[in-house]
Amino acid sequence: MSQVFHEIEKKIISVLKIESELTPEKLGNLTQLSPDQIRRGIEWLKHKDLAIVNESKSVNFQLAKNGLESLQNGLPERRLLDLIKKNPMEISELQKQLGPIFGPAMGLAKKNNWVESIENKISLKNYPSSIPGEKTLQQIGHDSIPEPNIDKDDLASLLKRPAFLIENIVKNKEISLTKDAQNLDFTKSDSGAIDVEAKVPEVNVARTHPLKDTIDEIREIFVTLGFAEILGNMTQSSFWNFDALFTPQDHPARELQDTFYLDGISAKKIGTKEQIQNVSKYHKKDWRYHWDINEARKMVLRTHTTCVTIKHLAEKKPDEARVFSLGRVFRNEKVSYKHLVEFNQIEGVVVGANANLRNLMGIQREFYRRIGITKIKFWPTFFPYTEPSLQTMVFNERLGKWVELFGMGIFRPEVTKPLGITKPVLAWGGGIERIAMLKYGLDDVREFYNNNLGWLRSTTKCQ
Amino acid sequence: MPVVELSYSRLQKLIGKVSKKQISETLPFLGLDIESEDKDLVRVEYSPNRPDYSTDFGIALGLQGLLGIKTGSLKIKIKKSKEYKINVKSNVTKIRPFVTGIIAKNGKIDDKIIKQFMTMQEDLHFGIGRKRKKSSIGIHDLDKICFPLSYTATNRNYKFVPLNSNKESTISDILNNTEVGQEYGNILGNSSQVPIIIDSNDKTVSFPPIVNAAVTTVTTKTKNLFVEVTGINKEDAEDMLSIVATILYYAGFDLTSTNISGAKNSSPKLESRKVSVNPQLINASLGLELNNAKIVSSLKKSRIDASIKGKNIVCNIPPYRFDIFGPMDIVEEVALGYGIENLAPLLSPSETMGTIHPISSQLKSLSLVMIGLGYLEGLNSSLTSKKILYEMTNRESSKPIAVLNSKSQEHTILRDSILPGILENLSRNIHESYPQKLFETGTIFLKNNPIDEKTNFAAVCAHQDANFTEIKSILQAALKTGFNLEIESKTSTHETFEKGRVASVLVNGKTIGIIGEISSKTIENYKIRVPVVAFEISLSGLIFD
Repeated sequence: MSQVFHEIEKKIISVLKIESELTPEKLGNLTQLSPDQIRRGIEWLKHKDLAIVNESKSVNFQLAKNGLESLQNGLPERRLLDLIKKNPMEISELQKQLGPIFGPAMGLAKKNNWVESIENKISLKNYPSSIPGEKTLQQIGHDSIPEPNIDKDDLASLLKRPAFLIENIVKNKEISLTKDAQNLDFTKSDSGAIDVEAKVPEVNVARTHPLKDTIDEIREIFVTLGFAEILGNMTQSSFWNFDALFTPQDHPARELQDTFYLDGISAKKIGTKEQIQNVSKYHKKDWRYHWDINEARKMVLRTHTTCVTIKHLAEKKPDEARVFSLGRVFRNEKVSYKHLVEFNQIEGVVVGANANLRNLMGIQREFYRRIGITKIKFWPTFFPYTEPSLQTMVFNERLGKWVELFGMGIFRPEVTKPLGITKPVLAWGGGIERIAMLKYGLDDVREFYNNNLGWLRSTTKCQ
Repeated sequence: MPVVELSYSRLQKLIGKVSKKQISETLPFLGLDIESEDKDLVRVEYSPNRPDYSTDFGIALGLQGLLGIKTGSLKIKIKKSKEYKINVKSNVTKIRPFVTGIIAKNGKIDDKIIKQFMTMQEDLHFGIGRKRKKSSIGIHDLDKICFPLSYTATNRNYKFVPLNSNKESTISDILNNTEVGQEYGNILGNSSQVPIIIDSNDKTVSFPPIVNAAVTTVTTKTKNLFVEVTGINKEDAEDMLSIVATILYYAGFDLTSTNISGAKNSSPKLESRKVSVNPQLINASLGLELNNAKIVSSLKKSRIDASIKGKNIVCNIPPYRFDIFGPMDIVEEVALGYGIENLAPLLSPSETMGTIHPISSQLKSLSLVMIGLGYLEGLNSSLTSKKILYEMTNRESSKPIAVLNSKSQEHTILRDSILPGILENLSRNIHESYPQKLFETGTIFLKNNPIDEKTNFAAVCAHQDANFTEIKSILQAALKTGFNLEIESKTSTHETFEKGRVASVLVNGKTIGIIGEISSKTIENYKIRVPVVAFEISLSGLIFD
């Protein structure tokens, strides 16, 4: 236990040494400390086993509606007795004057042998000087009186009556010192020392966004695997987002309900004449439809970052390359705990004469290993622009099931040939939020963009 | 992605000796993702490029191959006959010019099969039929039809009893007052003439691509079927027919050809085609060293017949595999037949150096400086709403860049500024402890032939004593420490900021942004209870292009 005391503790202890069993209010008066300081001081001392807090309950009584009425006009039976004190009165007349209290008043008066009824008249037999309850009524008056101060029997008679009394339960605290505290001598100890064991206030940390941390981590992994980062626009012509990736113009993925088209915005220049001619030629031949350049000009919010890499490859035509692109992509979806309209994707390619599917799988396995996922497998899937196409399934320990992560494949010749890319291109990509959700144990992807300070300030940085 | 519901017990009957476990473990290796499982039922998602997986028959065909129970192509036998003629009249040429069809006899039809056919039909219409525009299909009870048929055009007053009805309706009625009519009527445009298939007794068979006639409805009593496909080009119509023909044949029907005459139309052949592949391409693409025999047996497991001819492997592609364009598609078929699970990942050393893009590293450095100054990083969507971007911050919405048909009201326009987003973040955090300091770097969008994307940097600071001096000190320190840039501030005005407490930010005499105290109106709009100071500057043109 710390032998260092706060000024508040010292003051409280000094006062309690002189006078024991004090309420917090009295303690406040004697120490000149605020209620909050007293509260904290008592908590600390209790924690250190220096103070004992005796909590007790007591009952106070106050008059209720009928009690207050009787305080003013007398108890119902007293009022009855007063009316017939001089002369007997007819029942009907008494009923008229006393109203609803006539019944209970009569009952009590008869029971106590104060009145007798002859024919229709009530006459007085005895006139009591005091009636049970009257004393208490006067004692309480308009105050609130503790139970022990009231005559027990007199109180009991009032308690039987409806709506005469209100019972208030009061909690009392009395603080006294333990033996250890009484023996403390502040003149001897802690010159200049402070309580180094006490709890301290919390401060809020400034930090990078947890999703950014995951993005940076993934970026660094690919850089160390020999990949160069490239950047590109989020707004793209349909030509690079779709046509160049062998996605026919009437493909369902290109419809308004899946892709965000920019209202009334088209690109004038979408590619070189040769690129446009070659791409459209493959579309016409293999998909058998009328290819429309105006459709290709329509600007969209990119649905994947693949448009950035394919544009880069079409421009540089490298024989050997490892590049990746990382950034936001968009889907026209209803926002829910598993879908966002805007999320981050990483997409990378390997170009090389000897690039093959097993290399692609090897890169994936290495990537997952580095982010701490070792239970993976590959399943076939379909993308319009790769053949063969695979997807990685990773085992989510928390959910206890396999979930899909990155998709991958070898770019189709229908994609590479029209753009003059001659060497095989391995491509893969996928959403980053999904990985970040695994990392931070989130079930709702929206949390990343809520900027909820409580979450940002408390999420563990190094995971 | 389309979904098909399968029953394990039905699949077991179709496939032969196989356990439920084997089936569920093999499905993913056909490219079918298991969506949900409930005792005997399993729902799988299939890729739209494999419409043959729209029924359990097609999936059983694939599973037999991968499991090695039956391999090689399914050889469809079609009996030639002159009996079933369809005459195409020249008046449909401009509306929906092509028709094709097949006769399927002596099959067993129960409720489950009808259900499979119906989902197949729907998926074919949606996928390769492009919502019935490119091609559409009608399945009829053959015994209710008298051949020869005519595929011709008629006007919109023409009457017949459509499917699921018991009274005659005109074409106009069907198009205007039925669900299918309203959904697909636009395919026919405004032409006064519409396509129709009529039998030799002038009875209506079908009104493609909208609805069949009621009289030819397929029930569990039906023994023989007539399938017609119409479309805007012949190949697409025949592709669709090939799927149905394969499924029907696999389901045990005897197929007989139809005879089609008329402009550019011809009777469907449904023949396999040959694709030749160099085994070197296969091995180089997959990173394997398979001998030709292994390649051939792998292809057979993918239900494709192949043989070795000289240096090449020649594949016989069955007509329903029109998803196969060329040699790379064969590479995939080999990989699937060989087994994806047998491909061992291989990490080859990199020949290239990895690099982070300079913009990424600069943004990262800037964020570290801001953290040093006590600011928390926020992230907001680029796609936001008019309310957040303009109304709440009292900004003039000049010409926002909007997206079409957004499903979310909160995501309708691209941001041209970052600040409104982080101000909104403060309003969502009024119950959290103060001071609250947030910054964000991100892309903003401006209209400019067609669009300029710039990187902006903004920060907000909210607490009881927040003031102009504080936020200017922060920006000054950030740019000085980050990029050795000196800032100046010049009196200015801005709708979001308080008059007299806002300045333009200049670097080397060039305006790069705005700084100041947020106006009481904006703070009220957001129900924030403390003063807020903020800045936003453009990094494009300042630190990078």
